[in-house]
Amino acid sequence: MAVQTTFRRIDSCRVELPESYKPGMRVKGVIYVDEILESGLDQKCLDQVANVASLPGIVGASLAMPDIHMGYGFVIGGVAAFSMDEGVISPGGVGYDINCGVRLLASNLRRHEAAAKIKEVAAAIYREVPAGVGSKGKLRLLHDDFNELLKKGARWAVERGMGTPDDLERTESGGAIEGAEPALISEKAYERGRTQLGSLGSGNHFLEIQYVDQIYEDEAAAAMGLFEGQVTVMIHTGSRGFGHQVCTDYLEEMATAVRKYGISLPDRELACAPVNSPEARSYLAAMRGAANFAWANRQCIMHWTREAFIEAMGISPRELGMRLVYDVAHNVAKIEEHTVNGIKTRLAVHRKGATRAFPPGHPELPQIYRKTGQPVLIPGDMGRVSFVLAGNEKAMHETWGSTCHGAGRMLSRHEAIRRARGRSIYRELEDKGIVVMSAGRETLAEEMSEAYKDVTNVVDVVDKAGISRKVARLRPMAVVKG
Amino acid sequence: MPYEQIEVTGDAGIKACGATVEEAFAAAAEGFYSLLTDTEKIRKEKTIEVKAKGDNPESLLVNFLNELVFIFDTKGMLGKKVAVSSLGNGAIAATISGEEFDPERHPRGLLVKAATYHNLKVESKNGQWELEVIFDI
Repeated sequence: MAVQTTFRRIDSCRVELPESYKPGMRVKGVIYVDEILESGLDQKCLDQVANVASLPGIVGASLAMPDIHMGYGFVIGGVAAFSMDEGVISPGGVGYDINCGVRLLASNLRRHEAAAKIKEVAAAIYREVPAGVGSKGKLRLLHDDFNELLKKGARWAVERGMGTPDDLERTESGGAIEGAEPALISEKAYERGRTQLGSLGSGNHFLEIQYVDQIYEDEAAAAMGLFEGQVTVMIHTGSRGFGHQVCTDYLEEMATAVRKYGISLPDRELACAPVNSPEARSYLAAMRGAANFAWANRQCIMHWTREAFIEAMGISPRELGMRLVYDVAHNVAKIEEHTVNGIKTRLAVHRKGATRAFPPGHPELPQIYRKTGQPVLIPGDMGRVSFVLAGNEKAMHETWGSTCHGAGRMLSRHEAIRRARGRSIYRELEDKGIVVMSAGRETLAEEMSEAYKDVTNVVDVVDKAGISRKVARLRPMAVVKG
Repeated sequence: MPYEQIEVTGDAGIKACGATVEEAFAAAAEGFYSLLTDTEKIRKEKTIEVKAKGDNPESLLVNFLNELVFIFDTKGMLGKKVAVSSLGNGAIAATISGEEFDPERHPRGLLVKAATYHNLKVESKNGQWELEVIFDI
């Protein structure tokens, strides 16, 4: 359902939702859409952007990226920053899958070298990296180990031989956010997470073998070690049941906090607490543990992917040369320094279905990416393409250093299944030269291309708006799904 | 069947009904299992008891379903038949009859992360209880 003139177009890439849109809005809403994507905006999304704009202590604007779609409380594709003194922390601004994110691996292989063995490689990955409902990873975490993992994140896996220290500087936040407090995480979360490390999950999560089919910016691509025709691997997953339980537990806790602090909310999924309250501090400390779990998870999956390639292709690790390009979180809340009215200020930035995109020169970036800006990884749907972007200075001024995270869903699962009826999505993908390994009975239909916005439109908007810039485009060769 | 799946972009929901609130909650739970697999394929091999608390009917429903999510994620328990033995004073107790997930026999359906409060409905009208709940997938 398209929306009538409730918003004002700022420029070709942005529309503004004025404070008059809905009573209680403290700031305006700004949505990054061009005229093509504007037609897909629905009323419920706008209401959610407006609801977030009404939360205490929100700074600037309630922002949404072009992959905006309806979420719980906050939209998916949403970015909101809150004052450390008057603002709030909301688990709904992060989502159930804490630190759902994307990792991109580069290799020495060229497309034609991998093509002959692509089925074997996909099958080997499918064995090594369990996917789908009820799947368990290869590791079983004991309690002390688990606590260490929650503090160390990806480093935990590297210390166990699954990767190299170099991987950590190529991971957002070094693969671990400081301040995780295992003691603030429920036994239930531990129980759910214990068998799930190193598993992919289901839904829109996937592991894709791809090749670089276009480079847009030579210098940045070279810094990232990317070249045309090169085989890459993209891993999209998060903190699994561990993170889901942390979110579930704290939404319950926050519902109590909302009453305690007298916060009035238009939607229970926006439950939140003042940044400096014990409730918010506890959630952040637990959320950091879940974020670190996700980084360890992606690090383990990268390791097993590398092993699968070596085994299935019968080549040496050196010949394969599989290395990390970067790893980004797209569901997380962080305390970051930004400039507000010319003054450096710490803010609680929530990104839900949005990616951090720090510009060249940002002090949090590792030396290798200081000149290019942070790599940003944008998965598309399984039949089309994915993108590598880089951060731009403009994002620091407009979006708290953030950009989009993916294609953004368009159809419900049922509608996708209906449209796929009588068709073999597997065969259609195969005809395009894409090998598919899928655990679920209907996942393929639900996740088919038409269920999503075209990621190219989404990426074009953030590129044109200048909040990040295109570096490379990747095309799928094989997809492993839950 | 006293439940049906409802459409949500990107996720999945269940609409359940019953002549009593207990029946409606049981139907919602059976509906939840229908998202995970084909319930026809579930055998009644064991029965477990599940308890949950909530200070209003809405949070009782969400917490109850989240308990089932937790039990599935940790023990693989799939329910074919759910019976609510008590519901009231902020607590629910139910028995779940079914078996553990077996990837050889149970088709893999949706992976449910959690039951949410999004557009949640717990209503009684014309002597019929109607529930609607959306799950994050």
